[in-house]
Amino acid sequence: MAFSMRYLDLKQKIRDVRMLAIQGIAKAGSGHPGASFSAAEIMGTLYFRKMKHDHLNPQWENRDYFINSKAHSAPGFYATLAVAGYFSDDEINDLRKLGSRLQGHPVRYSDEEKDHSVPGVEYSGGSEGIGLSVSIGIALANKLDKKKNRIYTLIGDGETNEGQVWEAAMAAPKFRLDNLVAILDRNRIQQDGFTEDIMPLDPMRDKWTSFNWNVIEIDGHKVEQIIDALNKTSSVQDKPTIIIANTIKGNGIKHMANVPQWHGKAPPNKHTPLLLEELDSEFLIAPSIIAGRRENYEEKVRAAERGGADIIHLDVMDGKFVPNITFFADTIKKLRHITSLPFDAHLMIENPLEHIDEYIDARCDIITVHAEACDENIFTQINHKLLSNGISPGIAINPSTDLPDWIYSHLQNIDVIIIMSVDPGFAGQKFVPQILPKMALTNKKLRESGFKGYIEADGGIDATTLQQVYDIGARILVAGNAVYGSTDIHAAIIQLKHTANVALERRLLEHATKLGIRVDWMKTRKHILIPLANELGIEEEFYAIKE
Amino acid sequence: MQLRSEKKNADMRGAFGDTLVELGKINGNIVCVGGDTTESVKTKKFGDHYPDRLFNIGIAEANLVSVAAGLAIAGKIAFASTYAAFLPGRCLDQIRNTICYPNLNVKLIVSHAGLTVGPDGASHQQIEDFSTMRAIPNIRVIVPADAVSVRQLIRTIANTPGPFYVRLARPSSEIIYVEDEISFNVGRGNILRDGSDATIISCGLMVTRSLKAADILERDEGISCRVIDMFSIKPIDKDLISRSGKETGAIVTAEEHNIIGGLGSAVAEVTAENYPVPMRRVGINDTFGESARDEEIDLLLEKYGLTTTEITQAVLECRSRSKR
Repeated sequence: MAFSMRYLDLKQKIRDVRMLAIQGIAKAGSGHPGASFSAAEIMGTLYFRKMKHDHLNPQWENRDYFINSKAHSAPGFYATLAVAGYFSDDEINDLRKLGSRLQGHPVRYSDEEKDHSVPGVEYSGGSEGIGLSVSIGIALANKLDKKKNRIYTLIGDGETNEGQVWEAAMAAPKFRLDNLVAILDRNRIQQDGFTEDIMPLDPMRDKWTSFNWNVIEIDGHKVEQIIDALNKTSSVQDKPTIIIANTIKGNGIKHMANVPQWHGKAPPNKHTPLLLEELDSEFLIAPSIIAGRRENYEEKVRAAERGGADIIHLDVMDGKFVPNITFFADTIKKLRHITSLPFDAHLMIENPLEHIDEYIDARCDIITVHAEACDENIFTQINHKLLSNGISPGIAINPSTDLPDWIYSHLQNIDVIIIMSVDPGFAGQKFVPQILPKMALTNKKLRESGFKGYIEADGGIDATTLQQVYDIGARILVAGNAVYGSTDIHAAIIQLKHTANVALERRLLEHATKLGIRVDWMKTRKHILIPLANELGIEEEFYAIKE
Repeated sequence: MQLRSEKKNADMRGAFGDTLVELGKINGNIVCVGGDTTESVKTKKFGDHYPDRLFNIGIAEANLVSVAAGLAIAGKIAFASTYAAFLPGRCLDQIRNTICYPNLNVKLIVSHAGLTVGPDGASHQQIEDFSTMRAIPNIRVIVPADAVSVRQLIRTIANTPGPFYVRLARPSSEIIYVEDEISFNVGRGNILRDGSDATIISCGLMVTRSLKAADILERDEGISCRVIDMFSIKPIDKDLISRSGKETGAIVTAEEHNIIGGLGSAVAEVTAENYPVPMRRVGINDTFGESARDEEIDLLLEKYGLTTTEITQAVLECRSRSKR
């Protein structure tokens, strides 16, 4: 029973995991935020998308196994289990407390340990470098039983200092364990500092290759790359696979990211609201490939990927719903094989129900149809098709349209709502400023109605408008000319991200001021804020703090 | 109890290997993990019968016991075997965290324990295992005295869920028991010979020496000794120890192990808390051993104080302190 979560749903759930984990750590006053956050996408993708498991029957005999060898990532692991339904979210507040089921390092669940563990935990970790060996045993037993399941093992890079990891590395290929997939959380930090300073580990890929493993290297924070890598393992025979997931320790909270001292330190409780706000402010930059001069879409997709885009926005226009014609599903199909970046298809077409199968078939990850092009009945049929194919459904409205009332009874099945900030039809239009109050109001109303998905801003987004829509809640930011109008696409994307980051810092500072912890926050976040001090206008303030 | 009268030696390792083959036939869930010592610890036989159920991990004890833990997690009854010097010697942490803490169904059956491993010398002479193993929660520690005990105990533990540590010796040893004459219960000692003046509690290869000591004491000194085979070091038979203290007034223990933390210590813990009587512990006196050729094993044991004479002297010394 796979969760097969949709792309945006998956992203949200992983965000929820981070939020839950940081609350637990802050409450506990100790724990490992760094490792919890570097592995959040890995664990989330496994539990919410890839693994066969059943939270109602954790001992289900055909389940895939998850062995968490880097058990100090416990807060993240517990939060993942909670979000997957194994126990209630609230229990995270008991992390590391006397008598709690959430022990500092997870304990294998059994009748005897039911007061010190939660269902779903298969392995008692805590001592480093052992989980891969245990996974070999599980893999051998499941092969013996002729099961078709898989054994996924999360290992840390620090723990590969342990000789036992290499004993296991030698043994798994001997037994041809193609049902075993190790995922190495390569965050390059261990307790005392950077891995390459404490005990150099590179070249990691060469080491595992020479031990006869199938090696795949990915960005461990990109769920699409994790999914892609996991899918690839199923065609590998007679060899175990290791996925080297390059990650950032503490990813998600800027002042923790890649800072060794956050390996095992809890944030103070008073910071929790700010940390939650930061996590909730995660955004995706979505270049729209119809922008710019050249019609070479392949090149534009590749350039966006190289430039650090999060997803690709695909504006499909049929010349009827809008006056312009761009491209259709056949073009998307051709683009699909050149990148693993998620495809955000925005269908500006008449009769979307008639064509929806083509876009499903083209393997889009998000498909948005226009409210103006369908009624509730048609939307429901489209929505059903998308959900049953694991595609994130979206609904879009033009600047002059209000969200129809019927949408509110479908919010649970909608992952994204596009609020157009130009009249659709052509790239390069000017942002309609009247859209801002509408977006703010719609966002508020949607959140009050329980909408958990994304608000996407599309049309005329540049450095100035991006900050405005971001501040009022848009989290997918479509950028056309702001990216492809530039000669340096990488620099353009970095600039957009920078703009959003500055906006976020400003917002967090305001929040900190309201909480009465502005100075404390500035000190904590010093290395993030100082380079932005000029833009934020807080140079004098920093000077005063120093004094 | 009826003991074997006719003198015959048998190999404990061989008995283990044969029993494993027998059990493997009945129970397809039994698997075995070896560490480049399958020939000498006799698990190779199991592999000859069930090639897909013996996993040779090579010289990597930490990996060996952890793989066994994984097999147990996935529902197997995992027998992990190699030399006692290295299991538990090189994988104490894995045994503690990966097997005992989650109370997994792993049976650690080790061989070549104690001084009697002989020629290989002190590096290979495991004399601390009772102490380290019994200090870990959940695991049970078993030290059979002869091949008959091995067969019975291996059958019992295969059918008892949870972790066990079973220690076997390298040399073939004198058979004490008559097959099927007695049952072996984990947590119960066997009274091999009853007596009223002192009790000798021993395990493993020291049991035959204890029986001989009792014979000598009866013949030469007219002292009647109770002899107990305490094959279950943990859980230990507290009732029998307390009762023997009360009924015989003196206790001597004998083990092929450092006197610190082993059988003697376990017995002393019970005696001190329940019924203190004069006690002496015969064992290796907190020192490392040394090499000895196979034909010199008795001399080696003599040099390190593991003899019948040591036991008889200890009994006499305790008797002199006894209030009775």
